[in-house]
Amino acid sequence: MQMTARDVMTTRLHTLKSDQTVADAVRIFRKASEEEGRKVFGMTVTDESNRLIGMLSMYDILLFIRPKHIHVWGTMDDIDISGLVENACDRTRTILVGDIMSTDLISVTPDTHLMILLDLMINKHVRRIPVLENDNILGIVYISDLFYNLLDKLSA
Amino acid sequence: MAVIVDRSVLTGLSVKDAMRRQFIRLPQTAPIDHTINYLIKHKANALMTLDNAGQPAGVVSKTDIMGAYYAGLPIMSPLSDIMVSPPLFCQLNASLDAALEDMRNKSVYRLYVQDGQDGDIVGVLAYPDMVGLLYRYCHTCAQSRHLRAEASAPDDTVSRLTVKEVMTDNVVAIAETDSLVAVMEALSAHRFGAMLIEKNTGHVPVGVVSKTDLILAYKHGLAVDTSAREIMASPIRVCREDDYLEDAIRKMIFAEVHRIFVQSVGTEEIVGVLSLSDAARIRSGSCHACVSSRIKVETDS
Repeated sequence: MQMTARDVMTTRLHTLKSDQTVADAVRIFRKASEEEGRKVFGMTVTDESNRLIGMLSMYDILLFIRPKHIHVWGTMDDIDISGLVENACDRTRTILVGDIMSTDLISVTPDTHLMILLDLMINKHVRRIPVLENDNILGIVYISDLFYNLLDKLSA
Repeated sequence: MAVIVDRSVLTGLSVKDAMRRQFIRLPQTAPIDHTINYLIKHKANALMTLDNAGQPAGVVSKTDIMGAYYAGLPIMSPLSDIMVSPPLFCQLNASLDAALEDMRNKSVYRLYVQDGQDGDIVGVLAYPDMVGLLYRYCHTCAQSRHLRAEASAPDDTVSRLTVKEVMTDNVVAIAETDSLVAVMEALSAHRFGAMLIEKNTGHVPVGVVSKTDLILAYKHGLAVDTSAREIMASPIRVCREDDYLEDAIRKMIFAEVHRIFVQSVGTEEIVGVLSLSDAARIRSGSCHACVSSRIKVETDS
């Protein structure tokens, strides 16, 4: 039986807009996690026509939070770093989704084979891939769904 | 015959001791718009562009992107339209002093690091990396304030460098109602990285516009006749001219800024600016003991 992206994608979509702040995005991540019943660490970003223009993941946000000069003081154990986390979070809260989202987009079609999906996720180090048909987002494939789908077959 | 040899704390170190291994590479066909995301997210000032064969083609810095904004280039223009080519290199095992000299002579802020003449690009060397190295050097020096404090050394007789001795006293400010065009022209004319913004009357500083603010304005589609106050960062990060250099460097490192404005003692008037590049150029630690150790008289045996 042909197994494709359509078989493992979720069609419950949570999306962000590029002019939302990271603080907004984090609230939407939390809400999506509650609705999905699992931790959601990344989302699609769409324009006013609901076309995919980027992806924002936990990693994008963490990259921006990471102190720029941590290689200088990270090994110094006597440095007073009180307030550092608060300052980093203050800076991050107001940055716009569109300013730090990833724009190198990887997408598949609903007919993309499961093993191609697997290969893409491993080679490109991504944990979620949007499924597009004629520029419209049909769904998203999470690596965990792909894994559990394969797990079912492995244990059959 | 006696020979005076100019030494610095960097003498004997090689490029690999100071370089940063993580750097950004993008195809020269990538649009400026997407490139801004990389620079913002990775807190980088520049990136390397690659040609169609994946070979180094050029460098695009925030300055180049600011130039594109000034010139009215569409933000989806490819990097090949604005990149500076070719990129400049130094060798992994080259002396750090020589690499710094090369950067100064060629008026560039970074060199990409090659491992062997035809080798891979393994990193990038920029002025802030040098400051990091010097800062760490000072930190472990027996004369450092923190080690002396740990040892409860009661009498600190070491004469330490102050901000005043290293800062640039050429501070230019423009009015908060001036346009971004005026900001970009002033930055370019003075080769500054950020511009002090002051009230229209009374020369009261109210904010700073950096190249990062300008490239974000470009990305957000702001017209170049927008006033500076719309995008300026406020309040201004300052230190005092009599602050120790090491304290000012620490302030910049923690605040993630490349420069800090300097207030006079007493009046709080802005009298100078100190950048990480200024701190790197002195090529020494942060006390006079270190500076004087740079001069060594060698005699022929």
